[in-house]
Amino acid sequence: MTKLAIEVSKLTKIFSENNKAIDDLELKISEGEILSLLGPNGAGKSTTIRVLSTLSGFDEGKVLVDGIDVDTDPETVRQTIGVVAQQTGVDYFMTGRENLMIQGRLYKMKKGDILARITELSKYFELDKSIDRLVSTYSGGMRRKLDIATALIHRPKILYLDEPTLGLDIHSRKLLWKYIEELNTKFGLTILLTTHYLEEADSLSDNVAIINEGKIQIIGTPDELKNSIHGDSVVVSFETAGKKEKAYAEQLKQNGIAKEILWEGNNLHLYVDDGASSIPQIMEQATQNDIQVVTLSLARPTLDDVFLKYTGTSMVDNGEEEAEEWWHQWAGKGGGGNWKEWNEDDSEEGSADGENWGGNEWVNSDGSAKDDAPKDDTTEWGGNEWVNSDGSTKAAFTEAEKPATPTDEKSDEGKEDWEGNDWVNEDGEQKGDWGDSPDWKGNEWVNKDGKPKEDWDESSKSNKS
Amino acid sequence: MFSDTWHLFNKYMTITMRMPMWTLFTLIQPLIWLLIFGALFGKFVQTGEQNYVDFMVPGILIMTVLFGSSWSGVSLLREISAGSVDRMLVAPVSRVAIVLSRVMHSAVQVLAQTLIILIVVWVMGSTISMNPINVVLALTVIFLLGIGFAALSNGFAIILQREEPLVMIGNLMTLPLMFFSSALVPTEFMPKWIQLIATVNPISYAVESVRAILTTPIDTMLFLKGFAIMLVFAFATLAWAVNAFKSLRD
Repeated sequence: MTKLAIEVSKLTKIFSENNKAIDDLELKISEGEILSLLGPNGAGKSTTIRVLSTLSGFDEGKVLVDGIDVDTDPETVRQTIGVVAQQTGVDYFMTGRENLMIQGRLYKMKKGDILARITELSKYFELDKSIDRLVSTYSGGMRRKLDIATALIHRPKILYLDEPTLGLDIHSRKLLWKYIEELNTKFGLTILLTTHYLEEADSLSDNVAIINEGKIQIIGTPDELKNSIHGDSVVVSFETAGKKEKAYAEQLKQNGIAKEILWEGNNLHLYVDDGASSIPQIMEQATQNDIQVVTLSLARPTLDDVFLKYTGTSMVDNGEEEAEEWWHQWAGKGGGGNWKEWNEDDSEEGSADGENWGGNEWVNSDGSAKDDAPKDDTTEWGGNEWVNSDGSTKAAFTEAEKPATPTDEKSDEGKEDWEGNDWVNEDGEQKGDWGDSPDWKGNEWVNKDGKPKEDWDESSKSNKS
Repeated sequence: MFSDTWHLFNKYMTITMRMPMWTLFTLIQPLIWLLIFGALFGKFVQTGEQNYVDFMVPGILIMTVLFGSSWSGVSLLREISAGSVDRMLVAPVSRVAIVLSRVMHSAVQVLAQTLIILIVVWVMGSTISMNPINVVLALTVIFLLGIGFAALSNGFAIILQREEPLVMIGNLMTLPLMFFSSALVPTEFMPKWIQLIATVNPISYAVESVRAILTTPIDTMLFLKGFAIMLVFAFATLAWAVNAFKSLRD
């Protein structure tokens, strides 16, 4: 029987009377396993990592890490684990080597051992040429690699990665995945990962646990989770999700066409036994009910469908974590409550009637669609390109609709602008230095050779939101 | 604990040495005060036979300590939000060492600043004692006061958890404490109610102790009294800050 690296039973952490950050959580991770924790904002992912890494106390339950109780012997647990938190934690005014050296010293390692380990890690993470440069000169991807190297300086058996690829461009993200996978397969590290990227969880994990409201909702291999939603997933999008559409959805379920229905904004997710034979029936019912379908897509269930089923929200809608996380750190601490309040107010800015952004459009506070939404400008992601609500290709993007660039860092530099259909430099010339990433050209993404890009991954698609 | 403190102290010193100009910038304000107050008050503040600038130098040294150490907590908050503190806390490092190293770093930094001020006033013609023993004894009191105020700032940083109120507390700690002490004017020059406040103000004891060892006539007893009070003050504030830091675990 495989030894358990992490064993959590009945873990409960209470922040305040009505706020249980972790609620009776049960989790078992075997040695040498990669487990991803997926969950919406505030689900308890980071708090779980903080408890497991001895940074946070808890109210009830038992947590064993490598067989050691985190509550009674945190010092020994700290020798066993490596932690990569959301914030990089490396000092910008020190070199990579100095950062690694100080961390090794804090683990009471001998100087010679630390120096040897620095050589080993800097070579492995391809930082050897920049190891004596100040971290302030590093790119985001390099800082993340140094961060992971720092967490590995003392050769831990278990590695916690809290959103390790958050804010990185696609290229750096995929490079990190390679390292994470190798750390597990080559060096036998047990890895607990929290992530917002479904593709990351899908491709890296032996097991995925979906966490919501402080509880593990379901756990299993990515395939097991996807197979838990039997059949196919059909997503039907409407201009508005009104009473007529809701009644139509119920009708599909009652008729047995759909086994399960889930609403996400104006998108109706239908889970059917056989997509190919169900689509004509779905469309026929729509016509009979005089309902206009904007788009319809058929796919095998993804982790996003599983996520939607167990959390009631799509992973794609959870992309705001990057911006929110910093404030969450402060909200509720000291005078930080005001920040939280401000943050909530801000989310409703410009909506005196209490409308909210619900999936693809503004909805009223009761969840119904806002009638005066600008319908004629609605665009959808249709396969590989943006299309208007009538299905025609969208010819020109307004400033607000421009898609995100493939490389976050480049768009952050503030030196380029979106002009017409191209990114241009400050001097107005078309920007050409995209590295290995695909380009946005005209109305679609193209590879470096100019051919339309077809191999979309989840993260690229999420740019539409 | 001591090795952890040493390694972390070295880390902070390395960072400080990479931007020495910031350390020098904090000297500007005390020097301006020395020039302006020296010129303004020198003619009418009664300091006995003593030159007013000589009388004022210990006060300016203490002011340098306050300006240099009272903001130590701000960088702690930045380290917390940047994740550096979590990185330390997940390692088997002494929690006491994390606070102690920061406080020691602040105190050493103010020692360097006060040494520069001493050199400047000596160049300006001050006749305070430059006997190395007296200077070292004065620096000991300054070091202890630096420890105390850096510990207070770090302790408040952990409790308040935000920069704005911490800066407000820092301002409250520095200027009023300076004016309610004998740093700039002799106690006899103050109204009764300020004299009362000055007697419970630790700054007064630090100033008088430094003045007793640097200006003639040397008063060893007065120096020792201030030294003892500073020792208690430094230990008490440090214990309080360490305790606050231990409760940081959420």
